[in-house]
Amino acid sequence: MPDADAFDLTPVPAPPSKRRGRRRTIGVLVVLVLAVLALLSQGLLHSLNYFETIDQAMSARTTLGTSTIRLEGVVKPHTINRTSSGASFWMTGGKDEEVFVNAHGSPPQLFQASIPVVVVGHFTSSTSDRFDGTQILVKHTASYIAAHPKRVKAPNGTTR
Amino acid sequence: MKQLSLRLLGPLTLVLMGLTFWLGLWVTPPDKIQGNLARLVYVHPAVAWVALYVSFGTATIASALYLWRRTRSQVMDRVAHCAMEVSVVFILLTLITGSIWGRPTWGVWWAWDARLTSTAILGVFALAYLALRRANDDPDLRARRSAVFALLAAINVPIIHFSVQWWKTLHQGATVFTANRTLLIHGLMAWTLLISFFAFTLLFFWLLRARYRLEVLRGERYQVVLDEALVQRRREGVR
Repeated sequence: MPDADAFDLTPVPAPPSKRRGRRRTIGVLVVLVLAVLALLSQGLLHSLNYFETIDQAMSARTTLGTSTIRLEGVVKPHTINRTSSGASFWMTGGKDEEVFVNAHGSPPQLFQASIPVVVVGHFTSSTSDRFDGTQILVKHTASYIAAHPKRVKAPNGTTR
Repeated sequence: MKQLSLRLLGPLTLVLMGLTFWLGLWVTPPDKIQGNLARLVYVHPAVAWVALYVSFGTATIASALYLWRRTRSQVMDRVAHCAMEVSVVFILLTLITGSIWGRPTWGVWWAWDARLTSTAILGVFALAYLALRRANDDPDLRARRSAVFALLAAINVPIIHFSVQWWKTLHQGATVFTANRTLLIHGLMAWTLLISFFAFTLLFFWLLRARYRLEVLRGERYQVVLDEALVQRRREGVR
């Protein structure tokens, strides 16, 4: 009976298939690049800024014309008029420029006076300050204030 | 001491998570503007914190330590791999919770602004890391390539962080880590937010530990299977 130890049956590791590994790696990287380009192509490559402020839009009116943009501003109090097709309101910018917005579609839940909004749409003409909106987005701030914090009371007993 | 702390990790995580949800859902007041919608502030920012800094950070640091000869070890490679797997989960949760929050507040499920897009790209990077690991059979080559990739992918993290400052985004700016170091949340809301950060950070380490143990067991199981196969082959040769 041959000695078991004489037979060295330890599997010899196969030489790593460098070519196969390299091909797979390149494949993964190609898919990755395509995926990232696909994500970036969704508007980001045109402009890293998601919206134009009113002041920027007003100063670039001749360039913008009636092309579709996202316009950001603050809803002016006491100007909101909710219609059956959406809402109309005045929007103010940082330098007190104002734009009248006529937006179609239901405004979001948080839409209210004095809140920053981003309206998707276009100016009605290259000289008008009227903006036709197809969508209203609310750009809420990063501040969190408790509603009716009872621990702080005014001298007359009322709470904020 | 180490064993005790590891044993306490799970129960402590559970307690803090329970405390976060109890405070967040029932005790803290609603927000003045967002009302009860703001209660997602006790989930989404903490999940994002873990996704970007804790889990991706752990994977990046472990990858760097693997590439440095003095600290190169199988442990570092395993930690990087496991942390990146958990990172995928947290990145996905970040996008999902953000979407759930965005729909009623912004008015849309998704917006292609710099913050959201760069976070989605980070998720793609994390998935690509895992795909890269499966593309290479040689353990050392696999570890090195994925480590280099993790370091390159980590460049996206500061881009995500500063995106709301560098560009105009729909996503709001920081509430805690603001540019001028002012806190934009106070009282019980702030304390609950802090507890949520601790809770989800512990959750990450709990998941990482479980995943790491699984990886070690897989390695041991592979060795046992190999030894059994060798014994079997020798028996066949002797007959």
